[in-house]
Amino acid sequence: MQTVPLLETRNLERRFGGLLAVKELSFSVGRGEILGIIGPNGAGKTTVINLVAGIIPPTGGQILFKGQRVDHLPAHARSHLGIARTFQNVRPLEDFTALENIMVGALFGRGQNLAQARATALEICELIDLPHYDRPVDNLTVLDLKKVEIGRALAAQPDLLFLDELMAGLNADETREMIAVVRQLQRREITIVVVEHIMAVVKELTERCIVLDGGTIIAQGSYAEVAANERVIEAYLGKEA
Amino acid sequence: MGKKAMIIVCILVAASLPLYAGPYFLSVFNTIFVYMSLSLTWDMMLRTGQLSYGTAGLFGLGAYSSALLVAKAGVHPLLSIVLGGLFAGVVAFLLGFAVLRLRKIYFSITTLALTSVFAVVIRNLPRLTGGASGMVLPSALFSGDAAKNYWMVFALALGVIGISLWLSRSKTHYAINAIRNDEIAARSSGVDVFKYLLFMFVLTSSIQGVIGAFYAQQYAFVQPEATFSMNFLLLPLAMALVGGVYSTSGPVVGAVVLGVVSEYLKLIMPYGHLVVYGLIIVLVVLFMPRGLTRFVARQLARRGRVGGADRAALGN
Repeated sequence: MQTVPLLETRNLERRFGGLLAVKELSFSVGRGEILGIIGPNGAGKTTVINLVAGIIPPTGGQILFKGQRVDHLPAHARSHLGIARTFQNVRPLEDFTALENIMVGALFGRGQNLAQARATALEICELIDLPHYDRPVDNLTVLDLKKVEIGRALAAQPDLLFLDELMAGLNADETREMIAVVRQLQRREITIVVVEHIMAVVKELTERCIVLDGGTIIAQGSYAEVAANERVIEAYLGKEA
Repeated sequence: MGKKAMIIVCILVAASLPLYAGPYFLSVFNTIFVYMSLSLTWDMMLRTGQLSYGTAGLFGLGAYSSALLVAKAGVHPLLSIVLGGLFAGVVAFLLGFAVLRLRKIYFSITTLALTSVFAVVIRNLPRLTGGASGMVLPSALFSGDAAKNYWMVFALALGVIGISLWLSRSKTHYAINAIRNDEIAARSSGVDVFKYLLFMFVLTSSIQGVIGAFYAQQYAFVQPEATFSMNFLLLPLAMALVGGVYSTSGPVVGAVVLGVVSEYLKLIMPYGHLVVYGLIIVLVVLFMPRGLTRFVARQLARRGRVGGADRAALGN
């Protein structure tokens, strides 16, 4: 018997007016896998997350989660099914503390009550090493805000977690700390899709990656394989004259 | 004196007002409680991030439906107040499917337009509603007994305060705050945005309907101009802004302060009091943009008397 991939997209397409941001995109993510999606700016990486998370509807193709079509479902319903994501530009809920931000994921992603959500959020703060959880989010550093993003997504106890350019805006030390946090998640057997602009991070964290350019897959395989691929080098560095 | 003790004293003083205050004071505070309740409902909807201009419209619908039930169907006035609220709630539920797809200024303008639509429809049904000249009911609520009417509106206001406090401690508080802060982040975290917006719109509209129905029964009179008056939108809005939005204490304090100030101004300057009144509102909003309650809380915190009062005020 063949196992059903956790996530599968079939000929996914998204058009913004005259621009085809994602075209004929078919890929799958297996349970427990860590997949990297890389590509230069404007390759369509964030659009793919927005499509899978339900923030924007596809203009063509299908999205299957646990073998079921989900492309017609609203974002909150997909969250209930177990899809969570972070945002490249952090989107903290500003009138809340860090802990309350994380509680939102537990309250609505998993349908916990207030006491349960608080307990879940506290546990997550420990896991991701966020000691200043009782501070309003406008008093937090970029690193802590990114952790709040992860915490809120994690509190929904997702099966599939998209990390959208988690390392953007972090310095070398912070990046190392964040990589350690993601490794913690790996141990929890959450399926993770790491969407990154920085190749080194993908090399460090993922087992397999796909490379997007112009909204479509130009290469896939292990990091070593794609890094040696000519089309990938061309997409990142440009064609030699 | 502790905060709790102060609240209990305020409630006792307000509850016993008919025992020692004359009809003038009762009428002033009766009006204050009407506006306080409306102000709280306006603020509760604002906590979702949606600025509603429909307060007067739902108030008027509650008033008219209650008046019609009493005048045409012989329903008991107290029951008609409940039914008035229900009617406003049902209308809000049905309209919610259309207006809650709109956001920000589009939602605001549409709710304002709906208020006009309600008034126009009622004005154009003269056989049923008395048209532009309105309708006088055979008798006022509690036969016009000022004390009983006062206690009734006081109880209603306490109920609305209770709902607002419950809300700020509930799961719904997290949902609507998340929606106001960042709708996309809220949706991605599993918040069913439409469900919570609809719940809040129906809840606040029902309360506005109940207050409108009480108002109609108390004065035994409804008339399009008076019942759908913009005062039932603008005064509650000003009270919440002056007191401090996204809280229970803000609209309560705002209603008492503006209500008392407005009466006092009327007495000392019968002509022109509205200019001064407007100026006070503008100055408070300009110099205390987070409202009176948070301004005072912050001043107290600065003197080290109350720690974290600003956050406490936010939560209450």
